[in-house]
Amino acid sequence: MTGGPRAVNPNNPSGNMIRDSALGLVPETLDYYAALNRKIWECGPLTPSEIEIARLRNARTVNCVFCKSVRYDIAKADGLSEDKVAMIQDDFRGSDLSKREKLIVAFTDQFLANPRGLTEQLKTELLAEFTSKALVHLSLVVAHFSGFSRCAVSLGGMPDELPIMEISLPQ
Amino acid sequence: MGWVTNGDDRDTTIGELAELAAPFDALYASLWTQSHVPADVLELCRLRLAQLHRCAVELQRQEIAIPAGKTAHLAHWDTGSLFSPAERACLAFTEVYAMDVQALTDQHADAVKMHFGDAGLVLLVEALGILDGMTRLSLLWQLAAAPTQPPGQLL
Repeated sequence: MTGGPRAVNPNNPSGNMIRDSALGLVPETLDYYAALNRKIWECGPLTPSEIEIARLRNARTVNCVFCKSVRYDIAKADGLSEDKVAMIQDDFRGSDLSKREKLIVAFTDQFLANPRGLTEQLKTELLAEFTSKALVHLSLVVAHFSGFSRCAVSLGGMPDELPIMEISLPQ
Repeated sequence: MGWVTNGDDRDTTIGELAELAAPFDALYASLWTQSHVPADVLELCRLRLAQLHRCAVELQRQEIAIPAGKTAHLAHWDTGSLFSPAERACLAFTEVYAMDVQALTDQHADAVKMHFGDAGLVLLVEALGILDGMTRLSLLWQLAAAPTQPPGQLL
């Protein structure tokens, strides 16, 4: 990890995680970014715990320490336990995750590692499990959180480790 | 036509979920009107991402008109003097971002900030996140490039 952050938001903290981050330096996109983030959590067919599984798998692969340490309270309220989070590992296929949850992890991995290499088998399994709307939702979830975690890594100042932090959806 | 929906392009695919399409479109549009990094510089970075991902459909897309000489030489931006120092700083950042975001250094960031400041760096990484994500989705959704516009010269 690097030393200090590469961009700093000098404004007084507002208590809003997104607005207080370096993203607050770009007000022209900030409200749109925050609005999309809320809609992703609240307006798609995937449940909060399913969204959190994809988000945490991405965080683990991109190795965003901050993203890995966060747990959204709405996902925990939806039933996502630390035991389940612990199953989102390299050997997730042999875990007790449900078939649907394993497909969410597999889709996330495909996006991150080899988006042009989708197999017919995985495509068939995804189409059998998810509606078109759910697949679009899952796609935007993974793209959104991939961008967010890469943004955090790019801007530096990431510690080597952080404790688990439960947060609410930023307003 | 892709396999996720009946849509044959990004807009119709995302449009399957109208509740998310509208806020996504608003965020995407804001990238091209903000004041921190010129839109044509962002377009060069978007096209370079598409080249690195070998994504024909994103190479065909045009958000901002770029002089043909620049698009033809984009893969070799680091040779010659066709690209400005500011463009080169952003393209260098983009290439490392695309290959391994963990490999970005303070020097890559400082080179961008020299031209566009802290806010410009933030805007660039925010934009790259969205543009990289959309490029990956175009590939994952297996969206087809239009047959009348071969993207070969950029690949």
